[in-house]
Amino acid sequence: MEKMEITLNINDKSREVTVHPNETLLDVLREKLDMIGAKESCGEGVCGSCTVQMDGKPVRSCLTLAVEARGAKIKTVEGLADGEELSDLQQSFIDHGAVQCGFCTPGMLMSADALLNENHNPDEKAIRKALAGNICRCTGYAKIVQAVAHAAEPGDHCSDCKS
Amino acid sequence: MSDYTLIGKRMPRVDSRAKVTGKARYTADLKLPGMLVGKIKRSPYPHARIVNIDTSRAEALPGVKAIVTGEDTEGVKWGVFAYTRDQQFIQTEKVRYIGDEVAGVAAVDEETAIRALDLIKVEYEELPAVFDPLEAMASDTELIHEDFPNNVNIHVHIDTGEVDENFAKAHYVREDTFVAPEESYFHAEPYAVAARFDHDDCLEIWCPNGGPHMKSKPLSNAFKIPLHKVKVRKITIGGAFGGRSEICPADYICALLAKRTGSPVKIVFTREENTICTRQGHAMIATHKTGVDKDGRVIARETTCYMDGGAYSSTGPIATSVPFLSMEQAYRMGSVRYNGYRVYTNKPIRGMIRVHGRAFACGVDTQLDMIAEHLGIDPVEMRLRNSRQPGDYTSTKSLVTSCAMDETILKAADKSGFKEKWGKLPPFHGIGIGTNSVQTGFPMGIRGGSQSFIKFNEDGEATVMSGVVDNGQGNENMLVQIAAEELGLLPEDIHLVNADTEITSSDPGSYSQVSTFIGGQAVKVAAENCRKKLFEVASKILKAAPEELAAKNRLIFVKNDPEKSIPIKKVVRTSLLNFNSVNAEGGYWPKVDMKREWVKNPYGQLCEAFSFGTTIVEVKVDPETGQVEVLETTAAQDVGYALNPLVLEGQFEGSIAMGGQGGMLTEYHEWEGGRCLNPTMLGYKVPLCCDMPPVNSIIVESVDPKGPYGAKEAGMSIAMSAAQGYSAAVSNAIGVHLDSFPLTPDKILAAIREKAARE
Repeated sequence: MEKMEITLNINDKSREVTVHPNETLLDVLREKLDMIGAKESCGEGVCGSCTVQMDGKPVRSCLTLAVEARGAKIKTVEGLADGEELSDLQQSFIDHGAVQCGFCTPGMLMSADALLNENHNPDEKAIRKALAGNICRCTGYAKIVQAVAHAAEPGDHCSDCKS
Repeated sequence: MSDYTLIGKRMPRVDSRAKVTGKARYTADLKLPGMLVGKIKRSPYPHARIVNIDTSRAEALPGVKAIVTGEDTEGVKWGVFAYTRDQQFIQTEKVRYIGDEVAGVAAVDEETAIRALDLIKVEYEELPAVFDPLEAMASDTELIHEDFPNNVNIHVHIDTGEVDENFAKAHYVREDTFVAPEESYFHAEPYAVAARFDHDDCLEIWCPNGGPHMKSKPLSNAFKIPLHKVKVRKITIGGAFGGRSEICPADYICALLAKRTGSPVKIVFTREENTICTRQGHAMIATHKTGVDKDGRVIARETTCYMDGGAYSSTGPIATSVPFLSMEQAYRMGSVRYNGYRVYTNKPIRGMIRVHGRAFACGVDTQLDMIAEHLGIDPVEMRLRNSRQPGDYTSTKSLVTSCAMDETILKAADKSGFKEKWGKLPPFHGIGIGTNSVQTGFPMGIRGGSQSFIKFNEDGEATVMSGVVDNGQGNENMLVQIAAEELGLLPEDIHLVNADTEITSSDPGSYSQVSTFIGGQAVKVAAENCRKKLFEVASKILKAAPEELAAKNRLIFVKNDPEKSIPIKKVVRTSLLNFNSVNAEGGYWPKVDMKREWVKNPYGQLCEAFSFGTTIVEVKVDPETGQVEVLETTAAQDVGYALNPLVLEGQFEGSIAMGGQGGMLTEYHEWEGGRCLNPTMLGYKVPLCCDMPPVNSIIVESVDPKGPYGAKEAGMSIAMSAAQGYSAAVSNAIGVHLDSFPLTPDKILAAIREKAARE
């Protein structure tokens, strides 16, 4: 298969990569660009561990070809923090105990970040719906939902909220 | 309230920052210079003799660097116990399940490795296969392992005496059988292993593990090299739930490929391989016969359990015992007879899992509810009449010291409004209770204790070394929290070096719920010893006796005169200038009965502490679809002492998800012959965010006399009792005691229809 030179816009940086047309965005991120934040867990678009954003929408990078991502603004977990300063959502995940083994966390953050960019004040149902495509096997989701709610609107969601 | 600085506080975990930034490295994320891709050739047959393996075409494929088969091994068979050594890491004579390891390939890339697998030609002679434990026991065809007659891998027999006499005296006796198929872990992280041999011919290896020392010993045996030459390195781990406890044949194959090629090799499992070729939960058929007195107190119980063990022993003796042990810890049972049979079949290998024994535990509790119904006793009262009490001995002679089982039952009942709701809910609306207990440790022989080393650096920070591994549950934070508390430092001052067999001492691993109780205690003792050394130096400077001193916020001060203080950093530097480094060690070995053995002598002190949990669940069942809507769950556990309520609640919530919501409603494997039909997340339904009900977490503290600060374990007895609570609630909603788990809509609808037909 013929290799292709493509340009991807990842976390506001332009990246030139040589890819096969059948290479997934996930493989290109992980294998060619050393961005290992997105994870492969199921490899078939079910678990959400590989979630990144394209033009603000969460996508499964394991089911997205790298060539399809040309021209889109791609955002990955590596692009959430501003240098050493974590985003409110990342900090909220830490403060609320929403991270256990952490393997699903990057994908979970990218789905939650996409939700919050679209809906600044989601109710619990909207949060649970937005995260329904991200499987977490450790937490039972309760603290993840609290963390997202707090990031949207700091307040009295639980005893860990520091309003 | 305690005057601890960090202990008992809701402390966010120290490992979270690396995980929310995507920087945490798991095994699949590792890249070493010159690294090759490894893949494993697996058996397509459930039972077959290997006649010939031809690797010549695969070896000729450009990009293939090495191919290994059983011929390249030292022929060592592995088993957790000396009497269960039944598994080769690459098979030489026959394969025993679809997925058994036949060969390994290392190539320059994944595509080449996969093509090479196809080019390896294996000639098999198919053998009769068996997929059901009862058929396997009755089968007179070829045994799966010739040393095990009737395919019985393990038989655990426990008899406390006077069982038949007490049944004869009983007011009411009933016997019921419960069944459940296999379930899986579905760890977020698929299994992966990376290995290389260094310039000293030492094996360096990274892989998810429930204890690095549980990996290094079998690898040293398999390669016939000294233990120090196997360096299992620390790596971030994406979940275990009991399924990462043992050596995986892939560890050995990866290392062997690294040895053959002289290059680092990495094998990353597909999701299907993770399901089929690591471990699964046992399928089970459990028959409980229980006799009670007129007040509903159990005076005799006989249980016979058949467990489908799959192709190899794994943790067989433990797995055959734990379902029984959990229930004998939770309840007083009077006289007991137990016969547990773990039977080989031509299916994937079964090991320990978070809810070990759905049919067993849910069977015991369902039957208690049936007896309570017969006697006109409500389920909460029934449990209080049979619950474990402090100071009791279990049926197999373990002393139970700290025990707040009753408090968990009462608090969960109160919070959930059980008494007000019981018998008064509308049709198809139900409430149920489950109670359970898990052990904090097993007799682990020479690997039963943990040891920690602490050294102070000249900047006043401390390095803590511990063998404890973190599978995601928060063990690293627990160690940092304890060390910082005892040394008077801030969490960021503690540099933790853990789970690396080159550096850290032997440790039982994150296995049998002992990490806090044993590994945490070892760090506490080491830190106390280190603090003593600091105080000796400080006492001279502050002109106060060491016992008058305390340490907090990087300062050592006089307790009665806190103005008199000195920075810890200065104490360390003073000590160094006086030719003394500040370091210490500490260890903890639980006092268990070393003569207790799973099969030969299943009596005596099993471990030093037991946790106790109660889960109450309220559900609504749709009688048209059989769908269960869970309205609320209430989980109460006696954790001994809550070191970090934030982490504990996370364990409770995750336990409800895996043990109850998934384990009792949707999770099970389907089979065709020996082939698993739903090995991926498309077919195997784990709970999603939108599925989960509210969880009320109630932490109960009994302050264990031996645990660090009184702590035991957190979450496991919730996972188990959640399964029982879910089953009881659904049974209550439809008015039928269900005996086949999980409670899928088809079973629920059939039960509703049968009940309607009867009425």
